[in-house]
Amino acid sequence: MKRKRLEAVEGILYVLPSLLLILLFSVIPIFASTYFGFTKYNIMRPAEFLGLENYRRLLKDSYVAAAFKNTAVYVCLTVPVQTGMALAFAAFLAEKRAKLKMGGFLRSVMFIPVIASGVSAAAVWRVILNADGGMLNELLKVFHLPAVNWLGSRFTALLSVCLVAVWKNVGYFLVIYYAGIMGISREIYESARVDGASALQRFWRITLPMLRPVTYLVVTLGIIWSFQVFDISYMMTGGGPGRSTVTLVMAIYNAAFKEGRMGYACAVAMVLFVVILVINMVENVFFKEKGENGK
Amino acid sequence: MKKRKTVGGWTPLSVLGLCLVILFAVVCAAPFLYMFLMSFTQSKTPALRLADIDFTDFSNYIQVFTRNGFFRATLNSCVVVIGSCVLNCVISSMAAYGFEKKNFPGKEALFQIYLLTLMIPGQVTMIPVFIMMDQMHLLNTYTSLIITIVNAFGVFLIRQFMKGVPDELLESAQIDGCPEYRIFIQIVIPLIKPVLVSLVIFTFVNSWNSFLWPLIATTSSEMYTLTVSLSLLKLLDVSNFGLIMAGASISFLVPFVLYLFLQRQFVEGIALSGIKG
Repeated sequence: MKRKRLEAVEGILYVLPSLLLILLFSVIPIFASTYFGFTKYNIMRPAEFLGLENYRRLLKDSYVAAAFKNTAVYVCLTVPVQTGMALAFAAFLAEKRAKLKMGGFLRSVMFIPVIASGVSAAAVWRVILNADGGMLNELLKVFHLPAVNWLGSRFTALLSVCLVAVWKNVGYFLVIYYAGIMGISREIYESARVDGASALQRFWRITLPMLRPVTYLVVTLGIIWSFQVFDISYMMTGGGPGRSTVTLVMAIYNAAFKEGRMGYACAVAMVLFVVILVINMVENVFFKEKGENGK
Repeated sequence: MKKRKTVGGWTPLSVLGLCLVILFAVVCAAPFLYMFLMSFTQSKTPALRLADIDFTDFSNYIQVFTRNGFFRATLNSCVVVIGSCVLNCVISSMAAYGFEKKNFPGKEALFQIYLLTLMIPGQVTMIPVFIMMDQMHLLNTYTSLIITIVNAFGVFLIRQFMKGVPDELLESAQIDGCPEYRIFIQIVIPLIKPVLVSLVIFTFVNSWNSFLWPLIATTSSEMYTLTVSLSLLKLLDVSNFGLIMAGASISFLVPFVLYLFLQRQFVEGIALSGIKG
């Protein structure tokens, strides 16, 4: 009995430091954010309770609406493209890994953008996409194509941010997909090959269905990360031109730290939180279903 | 089954695939090559001309280090990264050990709460955390930049790995009269080294590349980290592209050199972040 109690005390002592930090920097702040979302608050004055006023204002706020729309467009463009590219490249490299000696090297190269910070990647792309003599326009000139004002016009600015994000993320999801493909039993492929299935057939009939759990993961992670986009657009365009590349997180940042409207910023942050929570829950439901059917 | 013309098993379609893969790999590497070469030019336009490159001319680097505060920023980033890695490893492995090898009431319920906190994005909690740090007078300190890196992910990761540490080993050490803290430090820690390496790399990259929190938590230029200093560079001098590229190179080079040496661990460590579920 005494030993058991001692063990419990030891266990709690081991967990305690991390518990304190997680309480302090995750659990308490999420409740505080929820509360501040109902108040008018800045760091100078005490919080003043407003009820749902912030949320009412939020619905009419064209800046937040633009941020929400841009973020949604960004998610819808980035996630399918990066998922498709990562899957296609991973499947190709896995299929050809016996014949292609440089497959490992190619994967390593594609991983380089993943380890770079969003800030340094965006700093470089900002210069490459420069309308006036940037390398991409120089390249277009070689093919006799007209120069594009990539970061200067509304539509292409958001598109550029999406492209840089895809460029940065593909290597990451490729690694996950590649590991997933390697986990599929070789025998299935062998028997399919014996039955005369082509590489494409093997991809559609074996690889793709077997990778469904990995795809759920890749898509959910992709969506969640994309909703949190900040670094790239902050660095490449600063939200402009106009409001064309303002993202949700940028709207939170600006409201809280540029305008000092912390209560309102918390309300916007709660919207982001709810979106991410819903995506997480949808994923969990899918995964549970999968687990029950699968085993 | 259609018969296709193939050369050594390469169909036209797979040749196309190969071309696309190589093209994308080139697109992945080219911007960094451009960045590096450009940092050795004094070009006033963003176009890179080979004639402009002078590898003996370090003036962009010298300027960025001395006049744009990159020396201090690099130092700050190093302190924050090392602090984050050490703190995260120590605290997470202690907690993982408590969860996996000790019994206390409410243990599994608490662990479920830990897992739930993984869903909370930092951007949602940053405002209250900022207010808290302000009231504790911790803004513009290394503490505020380091302490926020600890989360439930490391605990979860190490706990998974610690399931492989046999209980009998720990029990026999206990029977031999080995004090508790020595069981943890001398037996458990050496056994979980591989997962600690992964966690260090994961923490390293996250902390070195983190931007939004340092942007908020540092207001004095003395405390800027590299990413913050780099973000300010674009505002200072728009026409000196070599200077910006020198700044970006410095920020990029540290994780890149590590990646060259520890490729496998890097890929594993970073890929881990996705395998929470």
